[in-house]
Amino acid sequence: MDTNKLIKISSITKKLLVGLFGAFLLVFLLFHMCANLFILAKDGGDAYSAFCHFMGTNVIVKVFEIVLFATFFLHMCLSCWLWWQNRKNRPVRYHQPSRTKTAKGSKLAIVTGSLLLLCIVFHFYDFYFVKMNVVKGTYMVNTEQLMIAAQKGNQEADPSVEQALIKCMTKEGGISADYKWLRNIESADKEVLQKAYPEAEFEPDFYNMARQKFSVWHIVLCYLVFFFLVGLHIRHGFESAFQTFGLNHYKYSKLIEVLGIIYCWVICLGFAIVPIVVFLGL
Amino acid sequence: MQGLADGYFVLPYTLQNYLADQITVGHISTDTPEFDEAEQSVRQREERLMENGKRKTENGELHTVDHYHKALGKIMWEYVGMSRNEESLTKAATMIDELENEFWQHVQVPGDIESFNPEMEKALRLADYFELARLITADALHRKESCGGHFRTESQTEDGETLRDDQNYMYVAAWEYQGHGQPETLHKEPLNYEHIQIATRNYKN
Amino acid sequence: MNFTLHIWRQENAKAKGRFETYKVSDISSDCSFLEMLDILNEQLINDHIAHPVCFDNDCREGICGMCGLYINGRPHGNDDGITTCQLHMRKFNDGDEIWIEPWRAKAFPVICDLVVDRSAFDKIIQAGGYISVTTGGVPDANTIPVAKRFADMAMDAAECIGCGACVAACKNASAMLFVGAKVAHLALLPQGQVEANERVKKMVCRMDELGFGSCTNTYACEAECPKQIKRQNIARLNREWIKQLFSGNHKPNE
Repeated sequence: MDTNKLIKISSITKKLLVGLFGAFLLVFLLFHMCANLFILAKDGGDAYSAFCHFMGTNVIVKVFEIVLFATFFLHMCLSCWLWWQNRKNRPVRYHQPSRTKTAKGSKLAIVTGSLLLLCIVFHFYDFYFVKMNVVKGTYMVNTEQLMIAAQKGNQEADPSVEQALIKCMTKEGGISADYKWLRNIESADKEVLQKAYPEAEFEPDFYNMARQKFSVWHIVLCYLVFFFLVGLHIRHGFESAFQTFGLNHYKYSKLIEVLGIIYCWVICLGFAIVPIVVFLGL
Repeated sequence: MQGLADGYFVLPYTLQNYLADQITVGHISTDTPEFDEAEQSVRQREERLMENGKRKTENGELHTVDHYHKALGKIMWEYVGMSRNEESLTKAATMIDELENEFWQHVQVPGDIESFNPEMEKALRLADYFELARLITADALHRKESCGGHFRTESQTEDGETLRDDQNYMYVAAWEYQGHGQPETLHKEPLNYEHIQIATRNYKN
Repeated sequence: MNFTLHIWRQENAKAKGRFETYKVSDISSDCSFLEMLDILNEQLINDHIAHPVCFDNDCREGICGMCGLYINGRPHGNDDGITTCQLHMRKFNDGDEIWIEPWRAKAFPVICDLVVDRSAFDKIIQAGGYISVTTGGVPDANTIPVAKRFADMAMDAAECIGCGACVAACKNASAMLFVGAKVAHLALLPQGQVEANERVKKMVCRMDELGFGSCTNTYACEAECPKQIKRQNIARLNREWIKQLFSGNHKPNE
C-alpha cells in the first residue's frame, strides 16, 4: 500500500511530527521522574499517594492522559511508517556493513523504541492496568469515604468484612499518619470491602505497589534495563528533536549535545534511583 | 592549470550571453539530415574501432586505449613540452602520425557498440586527442618565437628568458579544421593594443 | 602490495548483479585507488579475462563529483574528507580483501557495474536549486554587500560537488545533506532569499518524489561528505521548511 497516495505529507513534516510528539514525551518523562522521586520520601507514602490521588481524579489530568496516549501512539506509528518507507529506499542492501561513524543511538532508535513499547506494556501490567481493573494490585481508600459508605451500606455485621478491616488497619503502612487514608489493601481484602461498601472508591495504591515490586530483585533488574533503553532512546531523541526543528547552529550545537547527554542521564538516573533505593532498603 | 585551460574563469563572462536566446528555440528535433550525418560518422568510427579486435599487430598483440593514451602523453611530454625546438617538434609530428596509425589498426576496444561502453568512450576521446596533439605540434612549429608557456629554445635571450618576435607573431593563430590528415588553414587574429604599452616581463628583479 | 578485490558486476540496470573476485599484485603504495582499478582493467582486457570494470571518474582530483565507490563499508573508502580518486593504496594493508560496491539507492539505479544514474540530483536542482535572474554580465563582486560570516557559510555549503556519498552513506538513502547544502547556500545570500520559500518547497517535494528517504539524524552523511559539509545545513533546511509551512500558498508545480 502506497501510503503516500493516501496522505501527502512531506518527509520533513513527518519527521517534524515525530519530533514534536517526542519532545512532548520528553517533558512528560521529566515530570514522571520527578513525581516518582516522592516514593523515596520518608513519610510512609503520604506525599506520593496524595499526588497519585490527584492524578487519578483531576479532570484536566484525565484529558492530558488521553493526549499522552495519543502522542505515544502517533509517535510510534509515524516512526514505524518512516522506518518502513526508508527501508524500501535501498532495495539491494550493501554486502559490507556500514563502517561510517554515526550519532549515538540514532540507528538503534527503532529497536530501542520497539523494546520500550514492550517494556511499557509490562510497566502497565505492573501499575496502570490495576487502575483499569484489568490486573489485581494493591489499593487505598479514603477513610471518610469508607465511613460514609459504611453508614449507607449493609448493616449486617459480616465477620469477614470486620476481619478484613482490622487486618488493613493494623497492617504496617495501613493507616496513614493523618488517618485520612487506609492503604496497602490487598486485592482479596479489597474485594470483600468493596462488596460490603459498594459506594466507596478504592484507588490503586501505587506507593505500596512500587515498594513491593522494587523489593524483588528480578523486577528491579528489568526496570533498570528499561531505564537504560529509555536513556539510549532519548540520547538520540533529544538532540535529534533540536536538529529536526532547525534549532542547530555552529554556535550552539555543542551546547545542545551536552544538554542532551545531561538530560539523558538525569532521566535515566532519576528513574533508576527509586527501585535501587527501595531494594536496598534505604 | 585546468581552470586556465578549459576557460573556467572566462566562461561565466561570455557563454551565458551567447546561449541566453537559445531558451526561445525550444526542443531541437533529431529527425534532421545533419543529425543523421553526425550519428553516422560516429557510428562508422565506432565500428572501425571494434573491428580491430579481429586483427593483431605483427607480434600478435593488441593494446588497450590506455596504452596508446600513455604513449601519446609521453611523446607530448618529451618533445612538445614547455621547452621545444624545431627538431623535437618535427620528430613529434612524425611520431604522432605513426602512433595514430597504429592506434586505428590495433587498439582493442572490448564490449560492443550498443551497450554502455566506457572503453569505447575513451577510444573516441583519444582519437580526438590525436588531432589535438598534431595541431598543438604544428602550431608550435609555426610560431618561431618564445612567448609565455611556448618556449622555443632557438629563441631566447642571453640569460635564458623568452625572446618574443612581436614584429612577426603578434597575433592569435586560429586554425580551421580541413579534415583528418589535411593541414589546417591559418586565420591570423592580430593583437592590437591601444591603451597599454607592450613590454617584456622580467622575473628577476 | 597485493590485493584481493571483490567487485560488483552488473551488465545493465535489469541484471541481478553479483560479486566477482580478482587479484592484483605489485601495486605501488602511492597508487591511487582508481589507478589500481585501471591496472586491473588493463589486465582484464589484455588477458581476455572479463569485460573491464565500469566506474565513473573524471577530474581525478576530488572536485568534479563523478567518482563514487562504496569501499569496505564506507563511501569513498577509509578516510575523511576525500573522494574515491583521492584514496591511495597506502591506506590499505598488503594482502587486504577489498569489497567494492556502487552507491546503492532506489533513486540511483545501477547503469553498469559500479556506475549509477545520479540524474535524480540534477532533477532536484532543476526543481529549485537556482536563482531566477535575467542573465547578462556578472555584476561586480561587491555590488551587493554580504557580511563575511554569511559569505563563509554560504561558500561552505556551496562546496557540494553532488557526488552522492551522503545518499550512499545514509541508512535511509536520504538526500537531505545535498538538498540542505543547496538550500542553505542560497538562503544565506540576498539573491537567494527572494525565492527562498518556493525553492525549499519545490526541492523537498521533488526529493520525496524521486524516492530518496527521510532524515533520521544519524549524520552518516556528514561523516562521509568529501567536502565536509556539516549537519547544520540540514538544520537550516528544516528551518526553511518550517518557515515555508507558515508562509502562504506555493503550488509545487508552478
